[in-house]
This record gives sequence, structure tokens and C-alpha cells, in this order.
Amino acid sequence: MNIDEIFDTTSFTIDREPHIVLDSQVCVGCDIRGCTNSCPARCYTWSEAEQKMTFVYDGCLECGTCYIVCHKDAFTRWSYPRGGFGVAYRMT
Amino acid sequence: MKTQFQAIVVGAGPAGSSAALTMARAGLDVALLERGTFPGEKNMFGGILHRMTSIEEVIPQFWTEAPLERHIAKKGTTFMTGEASFHVQHETVNFDRAPYNGYTIFRPRFDRWLAEEAVKAGATLITRATVDDLVLKDGKIAGVTIAGRSGELNAPVVVAADGVLSFIARKAGLRQPKFDAGQMAVGVKALIDLPSNVINDRFGLAMEQGFANEFVGCTGGVRGGGFLYTNYDSLSIGLVFHLGSLRTSAKTPYDLLNAFMEQPQVAKMVRGGKLQEYSAHVIPEGGYTMIPELVGNGILVAGDAAALCNATGVNLEGINLASHSGILAGKTVIEAHERNDFSTKTLKRYKERLDLSWVMKDLKGFRNAPKMLHIDRIYNEYPELVCSMMEHIYRIDGTPKMSIPKLILREVKEKIGLKNAISDALTAWRAL
Repeated sequence: MNIDEIFDTTSFTIDREPHIVLDSQVCVGCDIRGCTNSCPARCYTWSEAEQKMTFVYDGCLECGTCYIVCHKDAFTRWSYPRGGFGVAYRMT
Repeated sequence: MKTQFQAIVVGAGPAGSSAALTMARAGLDVALLERGTFPGEKNMFGGILHRMTSIEEVIPQFWTEAPLERHIAKKGTTFMTGEASFHVQHETVNFDRAPYNGYTIFRPRFDRWLAEEAVKAGATLITRATVDDLVLKDGKIAGVTIAGRSGELNAPVVVAADGVLSFIARKAGLRQPKFDAGQMAVGVKALIDLPSNVINDRFGLAMEQGFANEFVGCTGGVRGGGFLYTNYDSLSIGLVFHLGSLRTSAKTPYDLLNAFMEQPQVAKMVRGGKLQEYSAHVIPEGGYTMIPELVGNGILVAGDAAALCNATGVNLEGINLASHSGILAGKTVIEAHERNDFSTKTLKRYKERLDLSWVMKDLKGFRNAPKMLHIDRIYNEYPELVCSMMEHIYRIDGTPKMSIPKLILREVKEKIGLKNAISDALTAWRAL
């Protein structure tokens, strides 16, 4: 299986407003950055060269993993998307 | 739009819809709020809906009414390594007749059906409604506000069935503001299309019989396990990881899922299937010790929001506990309306009811199970031990055979250490 294909099988209705907002400055001082490997939707990417965390919300599965593994309280907002937006499972 | 109700249920999953159905049947004017475009749109699970005796009471012949996939007639457990696997399996005709012991289902279909049962009973389902906050009047809960909509919905009592992260329970001060990663797990799943006759032939099933299998040793040393469940014409295959272990592992759920599906024995099970959908969700696996306050002034917490999940490693139960808690929450709200008293004093009857039910008795009885699941050796060393021992027992290679007890002792010493093995056995004994 090509692992990249797996992410294309899930459907989304993407909102203009992000439902999760990350203060990525906090991530610079994090010793674990467990979000980068734990997020099942690979929304978090740490660049060692730039010392920078990049977060995208549009493939978010709203599973809650980042909310739990982040031990630095790096979220300025963590909520579910507005009604009708976000991930839309068909048959899981 | 109508804004005044006798009760508001936040979340149209199994807990919420069961609560709404119970209250609506008793004639209460209930609002059932769902953030998806339909109930079930946001929901995933590994895969088994265990028998729900309380729903069978509300909906007799439940299994002929609900959109189910297959009933579980066969259960297996596989200990595996990268190359080998050892499999035990149980099957009985007793699980092949109604009322069935469990089923595979699709959440977007099942949860929608259950919510529609509540609507048929008179509940008002409001979709695309993400609850933003609780409304308080004179120190009592008086309703909710909805994100992106003006105004509020009012009711003297709210049932928080908003899932594992329950922001409602948090806002009501009923749960800790911070979760312990050691008490939480994440499940990832791939849904794979496969013709029903191929599934029947491959797994030894007839008609609508289903097979449920759990795997140990397939998570790259991260605490967790794997599962494979047969739907009517698809397979649900996935992994569950404890977050306390995953977050420091530097491994990703999807790479491990890929490796799991490529393990030679698993690859044969999914061969020829087409990937349909990928999904993930967090599971409250901490059991009895992580249950929040279940009741406040004008509020009750049910289902995953109340951490009512029994993950002992044998049966992984959640929806049945959620539904039962929803029904008990509903019954308590009906009583509160009769007394016109929605204070903690009246609503705590809900906790008493839960404590007396199998839900809390099971969670309490298995409260040490999560501790057992924190033995890291379960996820690598033990599956390796089992597979290597079986290989030695079965192998014929022209050398004299060691006696089996001697072989076991040698393998245990080598792979686990005697002291560790004894301590693990004691932990497991206490847990189960």
C-alpha cells in the first residue's frame, strides 16, 4: 500500500476558520513534540533546520490526539469545527 | 426556530441518542444536538457493537431493525511478530443465533438510525450544531449556545454526551482540565472493500456470520494492539496505541498500520481489497479511575464523555456502556421533571443507577486491567516468546527435541526473565 493514498480516502468540508490554533513559538521549547509523530493525520511537521513547527488543520480527523499529547499547552484554541464542517466519514 | 426544551442532549452518538430516545418516549420535549451534517458522520470505532440488552428492551428484535453488518460468531486472538503468528480462536453456535452477542456496524449508518429512532419518538434533532458553551442562570445550567449561531437553546437540564474530550463536562467543572496521556489511546483504521463471498471463504464464514480478531505484537513495540473485523463486504483493520507510549516512540500510526497490513500473514487476509476510508479517534482507556464527576447542577455526563469504556484487552466495549448510561441518564431526567428539581441532589440518582448496573460493576471489577496493559513486554517480548516457542515445538530438523517444559523455561528465561514473568503473571491475575 502506498501510505500517501490512505489520506486521500477521507472526505472533508473545510471551513475558512481553523478550529485549532497553535502558538508554534511554544513548540520551539518543547522537548518531545509528540504531536508530530502521534497525529494520525500528519497535521504537525517540525523543521529541524528552521526550528519551526508547521500545522495544517484541513486534514484533521478531529480525533483529539494532539489535544492529549501536547504537554506544553500550545493551543490558543482547540475546538471542534463549526457545525457541518470538518471530517465527514461515510462508512467507517 | 423553537428554543425552549425540557432537556438538551449534546451529541447524537450512542449515549446521546439512547438518552433522547428514553426521554422522548416518556413524553419529554428533547433537543438532540449533533455537530455533523447527520449523526454518525464524525464517529468511528474499531469495530464491534456488543450486545445491548438495554436497547433490546426499548427496541425489541433490535437486530432486525438496526442497520448491522455481520453478527460475531467467531473470535480470535493472534500473537505476532514481523514474520510469525500464533493464533487462538473460539467459535460456538450459541453466538450464531439471536439475540446475537455482537455485531460489526458502520457508525455513519448505525448512529444515524439510532438518532432517527429518537426522532420517531418525538425528539428534535438539530444537526450542524457544535455546542460552544453552557448557559448559566442563578448558578444553574439553563441551556447551551451553538458556535456560529446567535441566541441560545434553553432547558433546565443538559445531558453531556459529547464524546471522549467532553468540553461540556469541562465547562461544567466535572472533569479535570488536563487529560493524562497514560489513560488515553488512539485508534486508526482502514476500511477495505472485499466481496462478501471472498470474506466468507477467506475467514471460514457462512451467510452473515462475522469474524473478530485482535492482534498483539503488531505495534512496533508501542503499547497497543491490532484488530480486524469483517463487515458484510468489507474489512475494518486497524491499530490502537496508548498515547503515553506513542508520543515518545517517534513512530507514526499510519506507518505502523502500513507495516501491520504488510506483515505476511495479515497481508493474505487483506489481499485484493481496495482501500475505502481512513479514520482515527481517541479512546478513554483509563477505566474506572478516570471517570469524571457524573452529575452537576442541571447536568449529567454519559458515554465516552464519562469515560465509560471497558478496554480489558479481552472484550473492547464502549457503545454498549454508552447506550446503557444514556438510558439511565434519560430515566433520571424523567424523574427530575416529575419532581421539577434538577439539582445535583436529584440528578445523583443517575450515578446510583450506574453504580448498581453492570456498567460500573464491570469497570470496577476490571479497574486494574489498564495497569496490566502498561506492561511493555506484552507488546514485543511475549508475542516473540509465543511464536518462537511454537516454532521450536513444530520444527523438525534432524536434531533431538528438548522436552516442552524445559523449552518453555529456557525461552522464558531468555526472552523475559523469570522474575519479570512471575511479576507479569501476578499483575495479569489481579487485572482479570
